[in-house]
Amino acid sequence: MNRTARIRAFITCFLLAGCFTAFSARLVHLQVTQHDEYLAFAQKNHGERHKIHGRRGTISDIRGEPLAQNDPVKTVVVDATLVKDPRSLAKLLAVSLKLPEAVLFERITREVFSETQKKNVVSPYIVVKREVAQGVAEDLASQLAARKLRGVSFEQSANRIYPNGHMLCHVVGFVNGAGQGVDGVERTMDSYLRSYEGFRNIVIDRKGNEIVPYRGEEHEARHGSNVRLTIDMGLQNIVEQELDAAIKQFRPKGATVILMNPKTGGILALANRPNFNLNVQDGVKPETRLNLAIAAQVEPGSTFKPVTVAAVLNEKLVTPETVFDVENGYYEWCRLRDDHPSIELTVNDILVRSSNIGAAKLAMRLGDQKFFEYVHRFGFGEQTGVALPGEIKGVIHPPHQWSKISITRMPMGHEVAATPLQIVTAMCVIANGGTLMMPQIVHDITDDAGVVVSAFPPREVRRVVSQKTTEQVRKALVEVVSKKGTARLAQVLGFQVAGKTGTAQKREESGRYSHEKHVCSFVGFLPAEDPAFVALVLIDEAQTKRGQDVGGLVAAPVFSRIGERAARYLGLTPSFEEPEGSVVAREGKAGGNLRNR
Amino acid sequence: MPDNRRRHANTVPIAKFVTCVVVGIFACGAGLGYVWCKNDLYATGAQIKKIEGELVQLRSRNEAARTSIAKLTSTAELDKRHTMGWIKLVPITPDRIVVVGVAKPAASGELRAVANERKRE
Repeated sequence: MNRTARIRAFITCFLLAGCFTAFSARLVHLQVTQHDEYLAFAQKNHGERHKIHGRRGTISDIRGEPLAQNDPVKTVVVDATLVKDPRSLAKLLAVSLKLPEAVLFERITREVFSETQKKNVVSPYIVVKREVAQGVAEDLASQLAARKLRGVSFEQSANRIYPNGHMLCHVVGFVNGAGQGVDGVERTMDSYLRSYEGFRNIVIDRKGNEIVPYRGEEHEARHGSNVRLTIDMGLQNIVEQELDAAIKQFRPKGATVILMNPKTGGILALANRPNFNLNVQDGVKPETRLNLAIAAQVEPGSTFKPVTVAAVLNEKLVTPETVFDVENGYYEWCRLRDDHPSIELTVNDILVRSSNIGAAKLAMRLGDQKFFEYVHRFGFGEQTGVALPGEIKGVIHPPHQWSKISITRMPMGHEVAATPLQIVTAMCVIANGGTLMMPQIVHDITDDAGVVVSAFPPREVRRVVSQKTTEQVRKALVEVVSKKGTARLAQVLGFQVAGKTGTAQKREESGRYSHEKHVCSFVGFLPAEDPAFVALVLIDEAQTKRGQDVGGLVAAPVFSRIGERAARYLGLTPSFEEPEGSVVAREGKAGGNLRNR
Repeated sequence: MPDNRRRHANTVPIAKFVTCVVVGIFACGAGLGYVWCKNDLYATGAQIKKIEGELVQLRSRNEAARTSIAKLTSTAELDKRHTMGWIKLVPITPDRIVVVGVAKPAASGELRAVANERKRE
């Protein structure tokens, strides 16, 4: 090679090397120095955060019947930057989603000023319609694919559905628009039921399709846990039906029925009236949403007397056979009357005949402080701790706030205020042998795979009275539901029932007790010898003939009907022969229903 | 030029040629392999995406079906249908229920009814 050729070759190589060096320098500048800037730019244009939907947990009864579920729905979203034919797209969406075409077209083509691009651009995220049914969304997707129309995506979401509508509405509760529990178990168990959305960082091509190999960070969605209640829908259905029948018959202002397992404290059924449909929230009055079983307080009336009798017997101050002078129906110094006047009554008969004077004398024998202590030990004046929102404590004034006659009024369930749940929980003490159980509404919580996350075993709060005392009180309560007691109509053929009626006068706004307005109640259990359930029927202001709005005529028959059907549902074996002449024996033979007159 | 040297000067450099061919084939193969792998990766990605979509759709359909079943088999719905007469069920009357073994027989020795069914007015 001559010299000239060598020089030319050298210059060519030099120029090529220079070019490559320049390109390399630019490449390094772009890839290293301006890496973050261009990465952000690329991610902005082609990167997306894709949401992964998490399901809220379900609520079911003890047998697994669904009480709250999720109905999957889609949200239809349009990315107008990817739409090539807005007219056709608007037409298709309008037909499928039943929306006006002109409005859709206007929304898809509407331009807004972009700060980053410094010009008017169409929106990349237009929510066209929410809560689109699964089937409709699938049809729409297939039509879009067939017509090769781009720019429409479907986001997964869910509607909360309550298959039983009105039933158990105060217990199950509901969620708000954001999917957060607002009332009932939906609220108290929200931390378990709540789901958390996941996400995945993806890269899309210019057609809007994901480039799967370039997937970035991914977090799985966390589905909510499933809550199983202690409620048995078979029993709940019985309670709801009988309560509806009672409402039709008595047209009361309100009513509550609670069924509880006295051994575990598990609530088997709970119903209030008025009630509402969980799937239709619009127009429901706040007072209708109130769970009367825990958020309303009533004077328990004579259903409180077993507390008084149990306290005195437990202190061994009297025996069931101890005789008391009941002043022939009028106790003058405290102006107390009995509906069934007697001269003398045993402690047993004080319960059986529901003697106010007798109960007052028993409490006086016990003393203010001791009586107050027992009332507290039976769970009155404190929250039961049930996993439902809005529970109130009730009102039990301490002895230093009592008037001179308070000790004569409280034993018969006046001057005290209790929730229906407190009344039924107190009766559970008598039914289970003397232990105050914490009422339970949630049985357990399982995760998505069915593994138990949290269990709620029966919880003993305290021992209140001895077993012997409860047996003595139980015997008296059995007699209450007999020919000589006040709750004859609570009898159930084949089973021995123990219970107590209550007829509490309501307080007027003036503070005086009304003679027309009553709260009628019956709280009892069956079979008396080994109770399967304790039930409270409480009816507020029943519309009856004058003098007939009493617990024994209004609430006791409802208990009887519920008890009879519940016993059959639970498969309890009848083991009790009704004495000749008893109400149910006569009814059983006649085949009629004396209670429904 | 001596005979022995002339013979060597005209030989084809087979070794070099083979080396070049092998390197060329390797380079082409590697390039094609890369393109094939890349295409396969994209195709698999698209397949994954499609299957994921189907899975999501199936889960949604499953959930929707479960919700429908829950609605249709709910106590309230069945009760409504029973009231309408759509479900042909009749109440179990006590004369059709007998308890064998455990319960005490009545004085007359007959099997006794479990409970007293009373007609509501």
